[in-house]
Amino acid sequence: MDNIKPQDMGKTSDVLVRPEKLMPLPAPYDKPGMEPEFKPVKDTWKEDFCTSLDGFVGNDTLARPKTKEEEQEMIKKFLSGLDKLFSDQTNRGYLQPLALSFEYCAKCNTCSEACHTFKSSGETEIYRPIFRSEVLRKIYRKHKNGDSLVNRFIGGDIDLNIETILRLGELAYRCNLCRRCAQTCPLGLDNGLLAREIRKIFSMEMGIAPKPLHEKGTVNQLKIGSSTGLNKAALLDVIEFIEEDMYDKTGKEYKIPMDKKGADILLTHNAGEFLAWPENPAAFAIIFEEAGLNWTLSSEMIGYDNVNYGLFYDDAQAKKIGIQQFKAARDLGVRKIVIGECGHAHKAATVSMDRNVAGEDNIPRESFLPLLQDLIRKKAIKQDPSRNNFPVTLHDPCNMARMMGLIMPQREIINTICPQFREMTPNGAQNYCCGGGSGFAIMNSFNFPEFRNKIASRMKFKQILNAFQDTIEDPETPKYVCAPCSNCKGAIRDILDYYETTAKFNVHYGGLVELVVNAMPQFERPFLDFLDEEAGMM
Amino acid sequence: MALLLFIYVSIGAFIGLSIYRACQYAKMPLHGRWELYPVPKEPGERGHYGGSYYEELEYWTKPRKVSHMGEMKEMLKEMLFIKNLFVNQKRQWYLSYSLHLGIYLLGLWTVLLLAGAIVELTGTPIVAVNTSPVAAIIYYLTLYAGLAGVALLTIGSGGLVIKRIVNNVFSKYTTPQEYFNLLFLFAVALSGLVVWSVDPAFNYGREIFKGLITFSPITTNAALTVHIVLLGALMIYIPQTKMSHYVGKYFAFHKVLWENEPNLRNSKMEAKVKENLSYKPSTMWSAPHIHHHGTAAPEKK
Ligand code: SF4
Ligand code: SF4
Repeated sequence: MDNIKPQDMGKTSDVLVRPEKLMPLPAPYDKPGMEPEFKPVKDTWKEDFCTSLDGFVGNDTLARPKTKEEEQEMIKKFLSGLDKLFSDQTNRGYLQPLALSFEYCAKCNTCSEACHTFKSSGETEIYRPIFRSEVLRKIYRKHKNGDSLVNRFIGGDIDLNIETILRLGELAYRCNLCRRCAQTCPLGLDNGLLAREIRKIFSMEMGIAPKPLHEKGTVNQLKIGSSTGLNKAALLDVIEFIEEDMYDKTGKEYKIPMDKKGADILLTHNAGEFLAWPENPAAFAIIFEEAGLNWTLSSEMIGYDNVNYGLFYDDAQAKKIGIQQFKAARDLGVRKIVIGECGHAHKAATVSMDRNVAGEDNIPRESFLPLLQDLIRKKAIKQDPSRNNFPVTLHDPCNMARMMGLIMPQREIINTICPQFREMTPNGAQNYCCGGGSGFAIMNSFNFPEFRNKIASRMKFKQILNAFQDTIEDPETPKYVCAPCSNCKGAIRDILDYYETTAKFNVHYGGLVELVVNAMPQFERPFLDFLDEEAGMM
Repeated sequence: MALLLFIYVSIGAFIGLSIYRACQYAKMPLHGRWELYPVPKEPGERGHYGGSYYEELEYWTKPRKVSHMGEMKEMLKEMLFIKNLFVNQKRQWYLSYSLHLGIYLLGLWTVLLLAGAIVELTGTPIVAVNTSPVAAIIYYLTLYAGLAGVALLTIGSGGLVIKRIVNNVFSKYTTPQEYFNLLFLFAVALSGLVVWSVDPAFNYGREIFKGLITFSPITTNAALTVHIVLLGALMIYIPQTKMSHYVGKYFAFHKVLWENEPNLRNSKMEAKVKENLSYKPSTMWSAPHIHHHGTAAPEKK
C-alpha cells in the first residue's frame, strides 16, 4: 500500500508497509552484499499474530483473535483501557503529560527528522513519530463521537476494528521511547510518551505485553528476584565464579562484599551483567576495592537486579519493583544506592521512581559516574592511559543523557584514560538511541531482531562506523565502543554480530569500568579480552 | 449596543476560558517525573549542554541551584521566536512565525488602540500631524503594528493552508478542523484588511475602544460588523481548541519537560509525594497482574 495515512490502519491488507529503501550505511557497508537481507515472514505467524503492520512481530502475546466475539471483546477492552488513560483515578502519574501531548500537536512534523527509526527506515511512514500518535487521537475521537459529522470534522476518521487495534499494539513497539523527537518539538510534546501510554493500555488493561518484558521480565523479577531468572543461590555461585575470574586476570584475591549491613554504598547491577558480562561487576569490584570504599552488593529479593522493565510498558509493575528495590537498600541500612552500568536502571531509581517513595525508604540514589569521576580526579586508583591506546568512541545511553542529564562525567573519565577517544556525532543529550531502548534489546521473538538490527539500531551503527572511519578497514587495529549500559551493550553486541563487524573489522564493545580497570598499571594482563593474548588462547 | 455586548462577551470568554483551561491542567495530580534535558533552569553551562545535578557527587548534600533566569530566557525565546522550530525546521518556521508574529503585533496594536482611545477621551485626537508627541507616536505605532500584523497574519495563515493542501505529508495529517482553524484566522485577517482599506488610520478601532470604555454604542458599517463578529467568534473559539497552545506550551515545558525537582528527604516535594501516595483511586486497571497486591504478580497460565 502506497502513501500510507493513519486512517489506513484499519484497512484489510496482508501488510500495511514493508520498509524497503533503508538509509545507506557508510563504508565499508556501502558495498552490495555487506548487509543481510530481510527474511520472508512465515505464514504461521500471520495466522496467529499481527504481521499485518510491517511484517515484524515484536509483541509476542498479541494473539490474533479467532472469533468475531473475541475480536469485539478485544476492541472493548482496548477502549476501556483508553478511557482509563485519561482518568485521574487510573493514570494519575502521567495524566498531565499525556493530556498535553495528546491535545496540542500542530502537525508541524519537526519531530520526524529527529527520529532514528523513521530516518533509518528510509522514512517509512508508519514510523513517523506522529503517525502512531495520530492513530491514537483518531481512535479516541471515534470512540467518543461515533460516526457523527463532528467526529469527521475533528479528525476521528478511522475504522475502529480489530486490525486497527492489533496494528497499534505492534506499532507501540516500533518506538524506542528515546524521546529524541520531543527535544525538537516547538510545543514541548512527546510522541515517545504516547507510545508508552499505548503500551500501558495493552498491558495494564488487556494483559498483553511482550514476554521478555512481562512474563520473563517483571513477573520473574517479582517472583524470583531477577528478570534473568537468577535466584539468590545462583547469584552467590556466580559471584564466586567472578571472584575466581578476577584472580585469574589480576593475580589478586578480591572478595566481593555481600549483604554487608551498614555499608556506605549499596552497588546495584543489571543482573544481566552477572550472566552475560561478568567482567563488568568484576571491574566495579576491583575499582571499589582498590579505592577502599565501604560498599556491598545485595543478594536479597530484587536487591541484586536493578532493572525495572515496568518503565517500558506498565506503571503498576514498575512501582512494585521500584519499591522492592528501595526496601532492599533500607534493610541493609546503607547510606546510599549507587547504580551500576544500566541506563534504564539509572532512570528508574533516580527519576521515574522518585515520586513513588517517601520516608525511610527514600534513600539517596545516584549514578556510579560522579563517583568514578571523583575517584579518578583524586587519583584514588592508578591509571595508565597508554594501556588504552586504541580508538574508542562513547555511546550515551538515552536514559542517562537525555533523561537524567548525565553528560560530562563519562567524558572527563574517558578523555583521561583513552588517548584515542573520539566522539560520535551527535552525542550527549542529542545522542541517538542504540536501537535497544525500551526493551528492544531483549525482545528476540520471531523476526523482531531483524527490525532491531536493520532499522532501530541502524543509526547507531552508522554513527559507530563514522566514528572509526580512519581505521575501520584496518582489521589489525582494535576499536572499542564504550556503552555504559547493559541494554545498549546488548543492542550493540547484536549489531556488531549481525553485520559481522567484530569478525571482519575488529570492532569491540563494552562498558566504561572495564576501560578503567584495563588502564590500571599494577596488573600485568590487560583486562579487556580482545587485548589479552592469554584470554585468546583459552 | 448588541455588538458592544458581543465584544465584551468575546473578550471575557477568551480570558475566562483560557484561565479555565490553565486551571484544568494545574489541578491535575502530581505526575511522575518526565523531564527531558537540556533543562534550562540547570545553572550555567549545564543548562545548555543538557547536564543536571546528577552530575555532582552526592548532589543531595549540596544546595540546590536553579537558574530561573535561564528558564525564563528559554521560555521567552520559545514564545517570542518559536526557537525550536527555527532550529529544527526552518522552512516551516517562516510561515508559522509569520502567523504568530502577526498575532503578537496585533496584540500590540490592540493595546495601542486602547491607549489611543484613552488619549482621545482626554481630549487629544490621534491624528498624523499632532501637537502632542504622545498622540503622534501612538498614531504611527498603531498604524505600523496594525498593518504589519494583519499582513503577516494573512500571509502566515493563508500560506499554511496552501502548504497543508499541497504538501502530501502535511495534508495526510491535517484534519478538517485544522484547515478550518487556519481559514478562520485568514478570514478574520482578510475582513480586517477590508475595513482598513477604507479607514487606513484604524480610527474605527479607537472608536470601538472608546465605546467599550464609556459603555456607549458604536457605529459600524457592514464590513466592520462582519469583522467584529468574526473576530469575536474567533476569540471565543480559540481557547476551546488546540489553538490555545499558549496555555499548553507553558505546562508542557515548565511543568513537564523542565520540571526536575528531586524528592529529597523531608523536603516540600516529599510531603507532596506522601500525600499523593496516600490517595486511594476509585477504579483500577483490569489486567490480571494488577489485582495482585503482593510483591509478585500471578503467573500467566
Ligand atoms: S521516542 Fe525516539 S524512537 Fe520514538 S518516535 Fe521519538 S525519536 Fe522515534
Ligand atoms: S514537533 Fe511537536 S507539534 Fe510538531 S508534529 Fe511533532 S509532536 Fe506535533
